[in-house]
Amino acid sequence: MKAVGARLPRYDGVAHVTGQTQYVDDIRIRGTLWTKALRSPHHNAAITRLDTSKAEALPGVHAVVTHKDVPHNVYGHLEALGIPADEPLLAVDEVRYKGQPIAAVAAVDEDTAREAVSLIEIEYEERPAFFDIRKAMDPDSPQIHQWGPVYPHFGSYNHRRVRKGDIDAAFEQADTIVEGVYRPQAIEHCPIEPQTALVVPEANGRLTIYSCTQAMYFSMGVVAAHLQWPLNKLKFVGGTVGGGFGGKVDTASETISALLALKAKRPVKWRWTREEEFLASSTRAPWHMELADAVTSDGWILGRRMTTLHDAGAYARFSPYGVTKHAFHHTGAYTIPNVHFDGFVVFTNRVPTTAMRGFGVTSVSFAVETHMNRIAEVLGIDPLQLRLKNANRIGDTTPNRVVLKDPSTVPVVLAAADRVGYDLPDEYKSMTNERRSGDLLPPHLVDQLGGSDASTNGGGR
Amino acid sequence: MRLTVNGEPRDLHSPPLTSLLTALREELEITSPKAGCHQGGCGACTVLVDGEARRSCLLPLAAVDGAAITTLEGLGTSDNLSSVQAAFDEHYAAQCGFCTSGFIMAATALIDRTPKASREDILTALSGHVCRCTGYIKIVSAVEAAAKGDVHPERVEPSFEPEEAEVLIPGSPA
Ligand code: FES
Ligand code: FES
Repeated sequence: MKAVGARLPRYDGVAHVTGQTQYVDDIRIRGTLWTKALRSPHHNAAITRLDTSKAEALPGVHAVVTHKDVPHNVYGHLEALGIPADEPLLAVDEVRYKGQPIAAVAAVDEDTAREAVSLIEIEYEERPAFFDIRKAMDPDSPQIHQWGPVYPHFGSYNHRRVRKGDIDAAFEQADTIVEGVYRPQAIEHCPIEPQTALVVPEANGRLTIYSCTQAMYFSMGVVAAHLQWPLNKLKFVGGTVGGGFGGKVDTASETISALLALKAKRPVKWRWTREEEFLASSTRAPWHMELADAVTSDGWILGRRMTTLHDAGAYARFSPYGVTKHAFHHTGAYTIPNVHFDGFVVFTNRVPTTAMRGFGVTSVSFAVETHMNRIAEVLGIDPLQLRLKNANRIGDTTPNRVVLKDPSTVPVVLAAADRVGYDLPDEYKSMTNERRSGDLLPPHLVDQLGGSDASTNGGGR
Repeated sequence: MRLTVNGEPRDLHSPPLTSLLTALREELEITSPKAGCHQGGCGACTVLVDGEARRSCLLPLAAVDGAAITTLEGLGTSDNLSSVQAAFDEHYAAQCGFCTSGFIMAATALIDRTPKASREDILTALSGHVCRCTGYIKIVSAVEAAAKGDVHPERVEPSFEPEEAEVLIPGSPA
């Protein structure tokens, strides 16, 4: 165990500081063609005409692809779980976000590829766009997704639900109700390496795909699904990522480059511009979270009602997964025995949203921690004391009924207080994460405690 | 057009309005300057032009005819790192590494010009460079260490002696 806690040199440090690290864009294969894409200039529109013949005829153009060239165009990340697919790789008869790819061109150089894209003839019929997730259920809001305003496949519900304890009783017993609305906005991952793929058709019929993906085997599966190829015909080369932060989990450039390489029978590279990164790459989602907590004047949180709206953008991708994680974390690092949570995945005309550093959880942590401060302010009690009192302890049960074996809230809050020289009374300073008893086990927390044998998951009511 | 690139005279045939970045990467296959934005916003393409840190994506080839260009490949080698390179490695200032070349070139130009560069000087020199991984603190510490000459290029490799391996699970083959 000599490596744990030791300051070891990075295995790739010397390569980074001498410029020897090879990112996808640094690989040189003779005869590589450049790619440019035709992207939607509209948030929401029907495509009424698409003609690529002039682009195909331009000297120096080796391939043009549209949805007609994709063996399996409409794909969904959750198909394997029986959830239908909703997102086309290349748009068919409509576009649902600005920047959505419609066609792509491979040509001898960047300028020729750009010129070819400008020669593609396309006509749109613009439709009203929809962005305000709070209006999703309004009958007057534009309908943009074939599944309706929200993702409908959470089992038999159209939202992720968590129910535990007796929420009505908690609100009846409360001294005060503390409400709050929290709305963190979209964030672009903005890796310094833009999305890049290089695809080389090999003599044996396989494709070698140099990829900046964060998820090699996942991306391989996505490309294989679109091409309807077995995995053993794809060789993925990757692992050197110039920053991703979640934004390189979705497979953005590999499949279209592969289709172009197959059609042109030449190596094809696609490096997005910074403008494309900002316009068309996925972002962290905007969220709308409404909380109402039933609290007692001495600082116990008896119950929480919460409604979350998550902006999925134009297609589902991993949003249902993000909302599920969000739901599991909606009481944060604190024990609240009675909860009522509804989380909706709302479709809008923004670029599809995706994972980013703590997928689904950073939003709810922001809301929960801000709300803790608000409760402390309303009750006139110290915000750290409020946290320490309600902090998770051994044997406490989470909203999704996991009995905690070693929660770290108490030691973390105490360490943070210590570092910033925050003064706490001795009874708080001496707190640990041990199983609740005495003053820390008020009647409302008794029934939620799991058995002392930590393997007894599913405690609580 | 003729440039001196990392000490060697090179003739270039790219059109005169080609950016220096594209000419270096595509014609000379010198790939340490990175195309992070191609519009002057990130600093990943920074090289030295006659000793000054410049964004190669914004420089047309015609504007640098006759100049001496230094890229990261022209600083130290892996067994003989420059002090800035060694400091970046030692202080974990390169995480994904994509911005690193630009930061090292900017820091090198600063320290060449201002050997006793202060923290202020460092922040000013690096201010237009974007790094999305490190949070900058490690980069600034690395450049401070390099400016002070406080670098230790000899890498301490961890040694894992098989006989010292602990038996974690009694009775396991280890
Ligand atoms: S590529 Fe030159 S500043 Fe970003
Ligand atoms: S190390 Fe990744 S952007 Fe700086």
